[in-house]
This record gives sequence, structure tokens and C-alpha cells, in this order.
Amino acid sequence: MTTTIAPSTAMTPASPEPAAELAPRKRRFKRPPIGYAFAVVFLVTLTLMAFLADYLPFIPYPDAKILGPDGKVGRYDWGPSWTAWFGTDGVSNDVFSKTIYGARTSLQVGVFATVLGIVVGGALGVIAGYFRGMVDRVVMIITDCLLALPALLLAIILVNRLDDYRLDTAWLGWLSRKWQIVLTLGILAIAPLARIVRAQTLSLREREFVLAARSIGAKPGRVMLREILPNLIPVILTVAFTGLSILIAAEGALAFLGLGVEVGTPTWGKLIDENRNKIDESWWATIFPCMMLFLTVLSFNLIGERLSRRFDIRQAGV
Amino acid sequence: MSTQIQATSRDIDGPLLELKDVTTHFKTERGLVRAVDGVSFTLERGKALGIVGESGSGKTILSRSIMGLLPPRGTIRGGSIKFEGREIGNLDRKAMRSVWGKEMAMIFQDPMTSLNPVMKIGKQIAEPLQIHLGMTKQNAWATAERLMQDVRIPEAKRRLEQYPHEMSGGMRQRVMIAIALACGPTALFADEPTTALDVTVQAQILDLLGEQRKDRNMSLVLVTHDLGVVAGHTDEIAVMYGGKLVEKASTRGLFANMKMPYTEALLLSIPKLEDRSHTRLNAIAGRPPDLVNPPKGCRFSPRCPYAVDKCRDEEPPLIATAEDPNHLYACWYPVGSEAYHEAKVRIAASKDAMSAVAVAGGN
Repeated sequence: MTTTIAPSTAMTPASPEPAAELAPRKRRFKRPPIGYAFAVVFLVTLTLMAFLADYLPFIPYPDAKILGPDGKVGRYDWGPSWTAWFGTDGVSNDVFSKTIYGARTSLQVGVFATVLGIVVGGALGVIAGYFRGMVDRVVMIITDCLLALPALLLAIILVNRLDDYRLDTAWLGWLSRKWQIVLTLGILAIAPLARIVRAQTLSLREREFVLAARSIGAKPGRVMLREILPNLIPVILTVAFTGLSILIAAEGALAFLGLGVEVGTPTWGKLIDENRNKIDESWWATIFPCMMLFLTVLSFNLIGERLSRRFDIRQAGV
Repeated sequence: MSTQIQATSRDIDGPLLELKDVTTHFKTERGLVRAVDGVSFTLERGKALGIVGESGSGKTILSRSIMGLLPPRGTIRGGSIKFEGREIGNLDRKAMRSVWGKEMAMIFQDPMTSLNPVMKIGKQIAEPLQIHLGMTKQNAWATAERLMQDVRIPEAKRRLEQYPHEMSGGMRQRVMIAIALACGPTALFADEPTTALDVTVQAQILDLLGEQRKDRNMSLVLVTHDLGVVAGHTDEIAVMYGGKLVEKASTRGLFANMKMPYTEALLLSIPKLEDRSHTRLNAIAGRPPDLVNPPKGCRFSPRCPYAVDKCRDEEPPLIATAEDPNHLYACWYPVGSEAYHEAKVRIAASKDAMSAVAVAGGN
């Protein structure tokens, strides 16, 4: 503010003005919108609880049997109560505990699948958008094919096939059910991400700063990594949050269809699937995992939406 | 004062840049666009050349053709471009990369879009130094700071840590110049470097370019539509119209003795300070020529007030004036010739008649 450009007619070299420090910017605290605030608080709490569940005293182990009011182990003994906050399920386990432990798996699957989708889809998108021509055609044909297949069908087939492969192939031992689902969902996430990233790259590569970088001799790899990629981060981040919510719900759907993770590891989808027959009498065992899934998806969407709005403003300002 | 990081210049006598019959055509759905059509000129070391013309005259495409920065698809290039005696017109991108930055660099029109918005200024200047000249990070940043001082940015050190959006347009253009100068190019192309800036900042940027050119003994190609911009800052001026070179002379010679009616029209279209207020601006009537089907004969003939039948039928060759062999022009009836004066009298007469009619109509 206090700095002035020395008129270049004056031949003095630019003086390093010492007393030109900007006044500390006043930080006006603006209350974030209630939905966004809730989403952040909810997700942070859920994530912390899920990963610290083993150490939190109020969360019993998911396979611990909760004795019923009559002192015996029964089916759906407790409704929501002090003993079991979300009630107990058909095998006398605490639903709250199972929901929290389920969050661990569900979030992991969602995050890893999204990361896989971003890495592969993003790379494909940037390369296709930057080089165009034949490379672009090939990538677009692949993504179009992926998008044309019914997602659920592809997922079912993939998970089943991968299971067979794992049993036949020695080095695929690590590919447990969880990672199979991550892989499947990740593959499904590639195509939409590649398309969005490609579209953005197409517009970014025509921007003048890309030409400017090339005019001083930057190689394509550098242009893509240093000039284009940083400009893509807002878009990728926004899509990632929205995609994450879709993938978490998709994991639930797969589990509901019986393509869940290993026996003994609870996920929301599995909880819903196991208890849905008793929804009339023992609603808590189904409704609470449903609520958790719903709130998580909603939170990710709210954050994604806010990010997209925020970055739009930023881009308009640049 | 300024740091000399000039690439070791090769010991070659003769011009720095030599263009012979350079053509750049684009394939489009409408047909072949002859954006640059047979341009030849030479540029000496350390000299400044202004390329002037209106939008669509091919001046930007010409400068990008020389730089080799055009998209390869749909572009047909011809002719010969020699840089320091080496043919560069047919080099591919890979080979051009050694030329870009170190031999030739370019400044673009809009400093608002030609800097990467998400990278710190210092990094944008320092990275090419690290890559092209193999400097260490510390060295590159120190050099970046010196470059920032060279382009007269106060508080260079603090500015290096900032992002482009924290700077004004003039500042950003200075940063662009610093980036272009970083690897010590022997030729600098400035594509309308001041068009997006305020008039007051324009002068500063042009002075800065001129000063850096002298300091570094660098050739400068200044592309602009504004004759006023090139007047004080170039040694030579080339006027382009419809993809062709129509006049080229030393700056002094051109303003003293312009031959091409188009150059005259460009000069007349600059508003004059001593004009009374509400004086109508002199615009060049008509539109730039369609480069898919350029007009027959002289390309300026449809808009030229002095055009006669010969202009519309035969294309005038680029010839030198009687007084100065370096003053080239392409016109059958150049400014100052007898036919020109006759045409001028004719136009004046018809204008009088027109205004007489207008006055009569007004009563």
C-alpha cells in the first residue's frame, strides 16, 4: 500500500524500502454456514472416534456380547438405552460400537478408492488434455467404455472375479475383500475424474502462462506437473469430496448385496443388510447405521459444495 | 547495475535474425488462412524492430512463427528463418527447447494471464534458471532477486515470496520481463507488451525494455498496433497488412517519408493532442481483409482512398525508395507521388460536394 513504483525514467536502482511492512490484516471472524460447520465437526468426530475406538472407554468391542435385561444373551435385547446407546443387534453386539468400527472400514474404503481414482484418473486426464490427438482419443475411448458399463454390474463381476484370482494366484494374497472393493470402486471412479480433469486441462493448456512457460523452454512433463497440475488442485479436491460420498454409499450398496468385506469386520452396509429383516420390531439396528451413512454422505457433499463455491470465486478473482 | 547473464554469444558476423519468404498458413474448415504470406527481413544484433499492424494483420503470428510457438496441428510453415546463421524454421519442439529462453524469449500481451496464479513469483523466475543454466536453488533465487531489481520492482526480496494476484498489472508485466530476461536471451519478442496496461505504466515498461536491451545488447522485436509505441523505442519499423510486409524502414525514415497509404492511415488514426475536443477520430474504413480469400491486387486496395484500377488488379512488389535502399514499400502510387496528389484533390472535391449536400439538406 505504501510502496510506489519508482518511475523508470529516474535511473536510481530500486531502493529496498525498509518501512513498508503491511499493517497486520484484521482477521474478521466470519461464522461459517451451519451446514458446513456441522459437516466438519461431524466428520472430524467420527474419524477420530473410528480410529481411536480401541482406546475409548465408552465404546465396547464390536464382538463383545451385551447381556440382556434378564441377564442372558438374547436377540435384540436392548433398544436405545444407557446400556447400549444404539441398542443391540441380533447377535447381542452393541450397535453403536459396530457403527463406529464400521465407519473405520467404510471411510478407509472410500478414501483409498478415491485416492486410486484421483491418481489414475487425474494422470490420464492431464495427459489426454495436454497432448490431445491420438493420446486423447485412446484415453477417451477407455473412459467412455468404463462409463458405458453399468457400474453395479461391473462391481459385482469384478469383486467375484478378483476373489477367484486371489485364491489361484500366490502373489495376490494381500488382496483381501477390503482391497478388492477398494480396487473395484477406484476403477469406477477413474472415468468421471479423468473426464473432469481432462476438460480442465484443455482449458488450462490454452492459458497464456502455459505458453509463457513453454516459450522459455519448459518440457511437457514440467508444464504438466508444475504449471497445470497445481491449478487443477481446487477442481480435484472438490470432485474428491463429492466422489468420496458417492463411493462410501457405493460400498454400502455392495455390502448390502452381500459383496461386503470379510466376515467379522463390520461396515455400515453390512449392518443394514444383516438387520433389515427385523426393521419393524428392532428398528434401531438398521436405522442408526443408515443415519450414520446418510450424515456422512451429506457432510462430504456439504464440504464439497462449499469448496466448489469457494474455488469458483477464487478463479473469478484471478 | 544489471547483472550480465548473457549466454556466450557466438562469433558470427552478419544479422542475428534473417527471414526469407516466411509463410504461415492455417488449415481451417473455411479454407487455407494465409496469416503470414511471404515476409522477409533481417534484424541486426542489439537493434529494436517494431512490427506494426492492426488486428489480424499477422504480426502476432509472425512473431510466434519465428519463436516456433504455434500449434503444430493444421499449421503449414514455409520459408527460411535463420537465427545467428542457423536455420531454425524447421526445428521441432525438442530442438527448439534449447533456443527458447536462452536464445529467444517472449513477453506476452496480458500479464494478468501469463503468470501461473498458483506459483510464487520467485519460483517462476528461479526455476528456468535452475533448469536451463543448472544453477543451485540459492543462486537462482539470488539471481531472481537481482532480476527483480533490474526490472525496478521495489522490495524485491519480499515480492519474490508473493503470488501474482498480489501485484498490479504493471508489476506483473515487469515480472514477465524478468522471467524472459532470466536466461539472457539474445532476442526478445514482446507481443503487445503494453496493450493491457495503463498509459502511464506503458511508458515505464517500454523504457524498461529499451534500457534492458541496451544493457544486455539484446535485439528486441516489439509487436504492436500502436505507431506511437514504436516511434520512440525502435530503430526500425515493419508495417504489416493482411499477412504481408507492406513497408519497412528505419523509424526516422518511416515517419519522415512514409510511402504506403496504410502507414499514413495508421498514423492519422492516432488522436492528436492539439485537436479541438469532439474532433472525429480518423478510422480506417472497412474491415481487415479476409485471409482465406485475400483481395486481388494490393490487399489494402478495397480500403485505400487512393486506390485505382491498377491497385485492384496487380499486386505491388516490395521495392526500395529512390533515396534510401533500406526503405522498402509495396505500393503502386505511394504517398507523395503524382497519382497520390491527384487522388487527394479528387477526394477533397467529393468531400466538399458531400458537405454541401449535407448543408443544403439541413436547411
